[in-house]
Amino acid sequence: MTEMNKIVRLSVFNIKKHKLEAFSLTILIMFCMTLIGSALSSGKSIKTIFPYVMKKTESYENYLMIYEKNFDNDFMDIINEDERITGSEHSNFLYDMSTKYLDSNGDEKALYMGFITKDNEEKLERFRYRSSLSEEKIASLRHPIYMPFIAENELSVKEGDTFSMVYGTRKFDFEVAGFYNTLFLSNSSMGMKFVVTDSDYVVLESILNKYELIAFNSVKGSDNADIFDSCIKRCEEYSQRDLMSGLMGMTYEGFRENTTATTKILLGLLIVMAVVIIISVAVMIRFRIAGDIKEQIVSIGVLEALGYKSREITLSYVIEYLMIAVAGVTIGVAGCFVLSPALFSLGEMMSGYQGRDRIFIAPILLSAVGLLALIALIAYIRASMVKKYPPVQAFRKGIGTNHFRKDHLPLRKTKKNVHIRLAMKGFAQNFKQSIGLTLCITLSSIAIVLSFILYSFMGKDMNVIAANSGIEMSDLRVTFMNSADTKDLYDEITEMPEVRKVLMTSDAENFVTYADHNQIMLPVAFDDFSETENIFPFEGRFPEHDNEVMFTSMWASEYKLKVGDTVTIEYNKVQRKYIISGIVTCLTNGGMNLYITDAGYKRLVPTYHHNTMEIYLKDGTDATDFKNMLTQKYGRSVADVKQDADSSAPYEERIKAAAEKKIAELMSVYGVDHVEYAIQSGDKMITGNSSGFRIRSVQNIGDIMRTQLSGLCSAVSIITKIFMFISALVVMVILFILMESSVRKQRKEFGIMKGMGYTSKELMFQLAARIMPAALFSVISGTVVSVLSTNSLTSFIGKVEVNIPSLIVLDICLLAFCFGCAYLGARKIKKISVYELMTE
Amino acid sequence: MSSSILHTEKLCKTFSNGGVQQHVIKNLDIDIREKEFTVIMGSSGSGKSTLLYALSGMDKPTLGKVFFGNEDISQYSNDELAVFRRKNCGFVFQSIYLLENMTVFDNVMTGALVVQKNSAELVKKAEELLKKVGINEEIWKKYPNQLSGGESQRVGIVRAVINDPKILFADEPTGSLNSASSCDVLDIFTDLHKKGQSIVLVTHDLKTALRGNRVIFISDGSVAGEYEMLPYGTDDIRKRRDGLQDFLDRMGW
Repeated sequence: MTEMNKIVRLSVFNIKKHKLEAFSLTILIMFCMTLIGSALSSGKSIKTIFPYVMKKTESYENYLMIYEKNFDNDFMDIINEDERITGSEHSNFLYDMSTKYLDSNGDEKALYMGFITKDNEEKLERFRYRSSLSEEKIASLRHPIYMPFIAENELSVKEGDTFSMVYGTRKFDFEVAGFYNTLFLSNSSMGMKFVVTDSDYVVLESILNKYELIAFNSVKGSDNADIFDSCIKRCEEYSQRDLMSGLMGMTYEGFRENTTATTKILLGLLIVMAVVIIISVAVMIRFRIAGDIKEQIVSIGVLEALGYKSREITLSYVIEYLMIAVAGVTIGVAGCFVLSPALFSLGEMMSGYQGRDRIFIAPILLSAVGLLALIALIAYIRASMVKKYPPVQAFRKGIGTNHFRKDHLPLRKTKKNVHIRLAMKGFAQNFKQSIGLTLCITLSSIAIVLSFILYSFMGKDMNVIAANSGIEMSDLRVTFMNSADTKDLYDEITEMPEVRKVLMTSDAENFVTYADHNQIMLPVAFDDFSETENIFPFEGRFPEHDNEVMFTSMWASEYKLKVGDTVTIEYNKVQRKYIISGIVTCLTNGGMNLYITDAGYKRLVPTYHHNTMEIYLKDGTDATDFKNMLTQKYGRSVADVKQDADSSAPYEERIKAAAEKKIAELMSVYGVDHVEYAIQSGDKMITGNSSGFRIRSVQNIGDIMRTQLSGLCSAVSIITKIFMFISALVVMVILFILMESSVRKQRKEFGIMKGMGYTSKELMFQLAARIMPAALFSVISGTVVSVLSTNSLTSFIGKVEVNIPSLIVLDICLLAFCFGCAYLGARKIKKISVYELMTE
Repeated sequence: MSSSILHTEKLCKTFSNGGVQQHVIKNLDIDIREKEFTVIMGSSGSGKSTLLYALSGMDKPTLGKVFFGNEDISQYSNDELAVFRRKNCGFVFQSIYLLENMTVFDNVMTGALVVQKNSAELVKKAEELLKKVGINEEIWKKYPNQLSGGESQRVGIVRAVINDPKILFADEPTGSLNSASSCDVLDIFTDLHKKGQSIVLVTHDLKTALRGNRVIFISDGSVAGEYEMLPYGTDDIRKRRDGLQDFLDRMGW
């Protein structure tokens, strides 16, 4: 037999002897490999999504959206004058934030929607759609609609389905013709851009807000945000109009960053999880080899006496663990081929783009080789301790290593329970082993507690998120026409029996600029912020004076701002300085909210006045019924009236409806305050005015927020659940292996104790209780570390509220879980036969 | 005659080895009497140790019953047997089996604390017993591998008797000791018996067997014969030895 054969046989023998432990290690290594390999591979493939979309769509790189009423064709010349711009295009576009759709249950769901015609879409990017329908079938559709790829999953629609867009009380049915990749408005966060026929566009044009979409390319390396800013300024100067109202834009860098931002965090978490597992594996291998050498020391002495070199025995351990690692890594690599596409799909879901799924083999192979090398190195370093035991010393069971130690917790001082005393004595005697265990459980606890905090915060339900949305989540947000007397309306609505509270604010359409960094911001103004229910400063306090504002944590972190800093806010070339009084967690609107008092807002925009009410209804009041009652009482909302009149109605009514529609358009699109009309129809004069239009729009902010955050929430929910499961599995496997090794190592000791009259259950309890000090320390320190690091890890969303009582319950559950696993892991004590041990 | 403390009814113990069944104890009826020093003798492989472990609840019989008083312990579960052992039995083994990671004192206390709760009283009792068997205070904090064989076995005896067991089982207690240590250990057993301790001891050593007052000879898994003697030290040692030797010769030992 060759030398290597002998070593391999020895390794195989050891694996067969400890099958369960080998299997458990294989599982952990498999998880580790799958997580690292998939995270690295999909991280690379997700990075390709954006370039792929750019290549496939040949889209313009930067988009700017302004109200059509503010647009002038000369703007394009002004924009093209910028020498950094290499090409530009513009197109008509419809966009509205009051749109909803019917989901598969027929319930209304809020979704910002944009509409464009096929020809216009072709001007901005190459329109390539994917459809399972034939060209003939598509041609036969009456109202075909093409949706961004993300809609298929997020809106749960497929080709041929009816997609119902709801605007006010009116429903528009489209048939889904196909899905396409689009750079601009590709997900539910900012809204989705749908391609419709010219005729449908014309219908929608009469009810939705009209915009002009400006797209441009720039010289590589240009600061596109600066180009935006300079173009807007020059266009404003030229037109002498305020273009900031309703303005929305996204730079190339913004698109690119959005593609990977969220998935980067998730992939980072996967790698952290894998590191937790690999550290646990390392600790376990070290512990197992040390335990095995101590247990087998006489056999090792015999082998050495028979002529085996200590190097060969060391090598047998390395090969044993390499064999286990190869098995784990091989299954793990196979796992990568399953998990990577899933992560890629998640990346597509988060970004809203469809890329070309491709598994990058190199990162997977590199991870595999790295993992194998690491395991071999750990095994080699630990197994080298065999050298310390030449045959004679091995026969003496390594005398000199054990017995001149401190007598920990002498039993003469036992006060109450001997089992706990013996368990603590065992803990003290195996302190070194406990350090490794503590490390493993601490890391797993961190992963579990962090996942739990994130899950409670984002994944569990929307209520916690509502408290951190950074926007006021009233039951109804009603925006009135500028001509309406909001003071009277406020008094009237406050007196209504269904109403709990009304807060006055303004609509969210006038953007201001954080002048120090040219950052567009959306003012959220209230007279007294302490009256709000969903806006909380997690640092500092609410703004109280007219020179105070609050920033969102996202921008505060982006621009390194803190409470007490002074910022310059600009509107229509007027600049004012404000002191930051507080930082707010804001999960919505991309964190661009600026919290300002009414007085502070008036300093910047002297014409500012309240035109919006946040209405809070009493418990049990139906928001839809209340909305209907409001629109009946104060006239149909402009959003409702901007729809086509019923063609079967009498002539006079149709004339009135058409007139009202025109009034609605003038008021909503052009900001007209008052309209009167008189129409001669034969000998009859049909007259009317806009006094009935007091409501401009009614929104349920909760619905919008749910749509904006549902994707992120479900992703967080899935990932955190996986994390908690894997971490719990790691703890379980570690404890099982540890207990099995301990039972094997102390088989004789337990046999003797059984002989003395200790029951199996008592010994199992003792062994399980032995790990509890380490578990207690680990769980507590893991929780403390998690709580302390939560906010730095989640600074992208702001302050995550930690529910301490629920964490205490979680810690108790974790400790019970550790004890349960250890107790079950020690079950082999039952198999120890006193008689067999005595007669061996 | 003393009353019975332990008896068996048609006790059988069979081992299976690679499909081959080996009947080590066959339909054995035996009666162990209270306050007696019963010695079980027999040739190697006769089943004497197997019998000891079956009697003491260390092992379950394949068939038959073992009664401790009126209680049939052969039907007990492993944990019930453990509780039975700690309440009623003490054990002294040939290999001693001290817990290697515990000091001498803790070895004694481990056996005691599983039954008794009053730590202060136990500590006092353990100290007294250790001193009585010649294990002085300086040894109490030592670990088993720092003791001589005789010292270890004396600690083992203290551990076995600290709970005042109703019956003390010993399996070749002097088997691994030199003659001086053996004598010391046997003196302890004699002393315990004098104080009324019921003892069941397995041995194949004549000198050890002489310490008992009843010898049961096991052959091929069955009781081949019994021999009764006066308590050790109450008769002439030469006559005692000759009498036992005659009995053993008749048994074909």
